[in-house]
Amino acid sequence: MINAKNFDIVTPGELLSDERNGRNGTYEENEKVYSKFLGMVQLSDRGISVSPLAGNYYPKEGDDIVGEVTEVSAKYWVVDINAPFYTRLDVRDVNFRVEESELDRYIDIGDLVYARVFRVYPNNAADISMRGTRYGKLESKMITRIDPVKLPRLIGKEGAMINLIKEETKCDIVVGQNGIVWVDGEDKNRAAALSAIKFIDENYVDSDLAEKVRRLLEDVRGKI
Amino acid sequence: MYEERFDKRKFDELRPMEAETGIIPNAKGSARFRIGNTEAIAAVYGPEEVKPRHIEKVNKGIIVCKYDMLPFSVPDRAKPGMDRRDIEISQVITNALNKAVILEDMPRAMVNVRIYITQADAGTRCASLTAASMACADAGLPMRDLVAAVAAGKIGDSICLDLTKEEEDFHEGGATDVPIGFLPSKNEIVLLQLDGKVTREELKKIVEVGKKGAMEIYELEKAALKRRFLNESKS
Repeated sequence: MINAKNFDIVTPGELLSDERNGRNGTYEENEKVYSKFLGMVQLSDRGISVSPLAGNYYPKEGDDIVGEVTEVSAKYWVVDINAPFYTRLDVRDVNFRVEESELDRYIDIGDLVYARVFRVYPNNAADISMRGTRYGKLESKMITRIDPVKLPRLIGKEGAMINLIKEETKCDIVVGQNGIVWVDGEDKNRAAALSAIKFIDENYVDSDLAEKVRRLLEDVRGKI
Repeated sequence: MYEERFDKRKFDELRPMEAETGIIPNAKGSARFRIGNTEAIAAVYGPEEVKPRHIEKVNKGIIVCKYDMLPFSVPDRAKPGMDRRDIEISQVITNALNKAVILEDMPRAMVNVRIYITQADAGTRCASLTAASMACADAGLPMRDLVAAVAAGKIGDSICLDLTKEEEDFHEGGATDVPIGFLPSKNEIVLLQLDGKVTREELKKIVEVGKKGAMEIYELEKAALKRRFLNESKS
């Protein structure tokens, strides 16, 4: 017996089924499956899963993330990546030569970095690395945060949504998989892009979101 | 003898309730719960690094909960900061939340829960616990169940649900106050305190009455948590 429908919104502790087919976001007690999160039910042949509607970023290996440097030490930077724990960026893991003990000459407190998670510890702490040509320090310091669970809507199918925002506003946008979004462009365009991201953050359960975002961007441009 | 309640409610009737989530933008999760003239606001921060370091647990997370009554919440000004009573209530709420939140899923992490009472008219610890559990769910913490808490008790010879301050201070025959916290879908009790004097049979009846009230609160909690997402899809 399955008690839930696809796309139902459930609260923690709601009974989902008694067939022991719970997957992510569920737990089992007395051979019954309950929801673990405030989330949306997803049914499939393999079982029931619940994807949370709010929540934290838990680093996964291979994630590309945007982080803010909060501390500089002799051999590493401490980076806030929106996760429960701070992360370290070691001097050996950057893609340029560094004189040791002069780390703040290259990346200082408050700077933004684009990096990759390469190791995750059992307690969800992580190490990040900037090795590779894709990664590096991000100039200009405009970032905005979005709930990581809402990222799929911001990116859209094969990047459709984020490309739409990029084209309409002519901004450079880097979306970290941790929910920090870096936006660069002219002031007006940047404001438009930020309002679009905020709109998605607030209305992410809507259908035909792309059309609404396009309309919003036209609205914003009309005002300027 | 206590035959009719001061506010003309039935003996097993709750005061009018109101619940709302997502009221504090800076917190990861937040909730407001009002029952009659009692109102609690809860905010959840985290999971984050444990401070101070020595209370860290290697295999599970910890919840640190602070309950505070704001100075203007009671007729006589409450002194700001935590007093003995606040510390006790913080502890019982922490104990109850420990049962509701799946701590094993967040090793070495810490969740901060802050609860403020903006208006007090008895039953603040129950309102706090209800608000705190809603805020935890709103923050996306893994949970076994929501907590629905309500005070029941005996006034004179009658068993009542959801006492007001006026009733708690009832003199003829004495008043007993029993705050109860439930995990409604698990049928578990996570908070049970007793202030007064009752027999074993009476206590059983009181818990039974409390359970009925808690189920009503549970429905309201669920509706409040879901409402935010349903509203958004309409606009």
